[in-house]
Amino acid sequence: MTPTAAPTWDDFVVAWELFRDPIACAFAAGAVLGMLSVYVVLRRMVFVSAAVTQSAALGVAASFYAEIHLGLAFDPVFGAAAAALGATLLLLFDPKKLGVSRESVLGWVFAATGGATVVLGSRITQEAHDIESILFGTAVLVRPLDLTLVLAVGAAVLLLQLALHRGLVFASFDPVAARVQRLPVTALSSAVLLAIGIMVGVSARALGALPVFAFSTMPALTALLLGSGVRAAFVVAAAVGALSGVLGYLCAFFWDLPVGGAQAGLACGFALAALVLRSGYRLAVSLRRGRGRPGAAPTGDTRG
Amino acid sequence: MSGAAATSATAGAARPGELLLRCRSLVVGYRGEGLLPPLDLELRRGTLVGVLGRNGSGKSTWFKTLLGLLRPVAGRVERSAPGLRMAYVPQSAGLDAILPLSARDVVAQGRLTGTSFLRPWASAEDRRVVAGALEAVGVAGLARRRFRDLSKGQQQRVLFARMLATRADLALLDEPTAAMDVEGEREAVAELARLAHGERMAVVLVTHALELAERNCDELIVFDRPARRVVHGPSAEVAGGALYRRLRGELA
Repeated sequence: MTPTAAPTWDDFVVAWELFRDPIACAFAAGAVLGMLSVYVVLRRMVFVSAAVTQSAALGVAASFYAEIHLGLAFDPVFGAAAAALGATLLLLFDPKKLGVSRESVLGWVFAATGGATVVLGSRITQEAHDIESILFGTAVLVRPLDLTLVLAVGAAVLLLQLALHRGLVFASFDPVAARVQRLPVTALSSAVLLAIGIMVGVSARALGALPVFAFSTMPALTALLLGSGVRAAFVVAAAVGALSGVLGYLCAFFWDLPVGGAQAGLACGFALAALVLRSGYRLAVSLRRGRGRPGAAPTGDTRG
Repeated sequence: MSGAAATSATAGAARPGELLLRCRSLVVGYRGEGLLPPLDLELRRGTLVGVLGRNGSGKSTWFKTLLGLLRPVAGRVERSAPGLRMAYVPQSAGLDAILPLSARDVVAQGRLTGTSFLRPWASAEDRRVVAGALEAVGVAGLARRRFRDLSKGQQQRVLFARMLATRADLALLDEPTAAMDVEGEREAVAELARLAHGERMAVVLVTHALELAERNCDELIVFDRPARRVVHGPSAEVAGGALYRRLRGELA
């Protein structure tokens, strides 16, 4: 590959050993976060996902800072997981008892962790590239430890979803009836929030906060716009998340783009395409109904 | 019917059906403060009970206490058996409108109790019960339709089917007809009377539709928080009382 020539499939195949792990990581994280995104969107937790993702980024930045300035060496992936879990646990408490809305706490977590990440980042200039990769997902390579954690936590979250999804859907749809039928509604809500927290934590170090946030919100939007039922929505969202991760990586390779930006852009692109498809379908249906009605304008123009 | 305390117009009278739930000197309220006087009443199988009162009269608080969602301020709620099955039917307007659930999915929720949701798929028996419940309330043809796309009346019937699928002994319905037109409301309340009598359940219905309740319910409970009164008894008897007549005048 010359510096001026665009990369080809042959280049990609030759370097497959190098790309295998990041693509596997993007596939697994995209699929699992995509599946979880259905809960994020249906339970109106998009801002929760943003705050937890931002906290994971702070955890990575704090790990670098601790190693450089305090001599405390621990892997940033554990810093990310710990910070994401910490934020999740904070969000598990009901702030209404203090006369404060949950949105206020979310806003505080997002602003505080975002600000702290930028401040810590300015004090670890020798790792500035790493901080950028954490925030925007510009890292091309993924470490074996990151991949192992994403695969292990992803598998555990999938099993949890399989076990809890019927209860979670009921508790989301009608929490009072679910309580009356003696379902552990609070425990179910906590379980899904913790699953999101831990998966975001381990994925953020590997892929970056931006694509992780995109994977944990956009795939559900795509699935719901495509008109999927609840069970199909989990499958479609997982597929869209995995596709966004893998295709985003390929786009970044072939067109020399930042990986995280390409992955997040694709996830948003799928949602936009689904929105266009749904709007077109609705328009077609309304036009067909209009034509079918006696006395309707034959051109479909209903203006008076 | 006394003024300051809750009264039961049928206290001591023989009633049909097995006793399911008993309120003993039950005081409902929040943070230790009672909203209404102590209430003694019994809910029996095969009866439709209408709960009436103005907004803020304490109906919902009483309801939540019966459901176990609020602790009594005083007194107690006694269930006839620890395994008494209860079902709750909310107003359809209060349910999540984003979830893309089919009518069948909603009815299948009636089969979930305790930790039974841990089984990833519905059993053959659950599917049979769900199909039967949809059939029983005349919405079998809507099974595959999205719940959110149904009319208010159809949604409420699907929720009635969910109630049936629970095989509940006691069902509590919180203004299920609030979003319906007059005809839909009439059909829904008649349907509930049929279910209570036919399925041998105790059905407790919170409603503002006084005349429908008077016509269809076996018993009525009228809450009057400002006067700190609760009146309970057979419909004809309660409907002849001053409290009911005043409430009818206020809601007219």
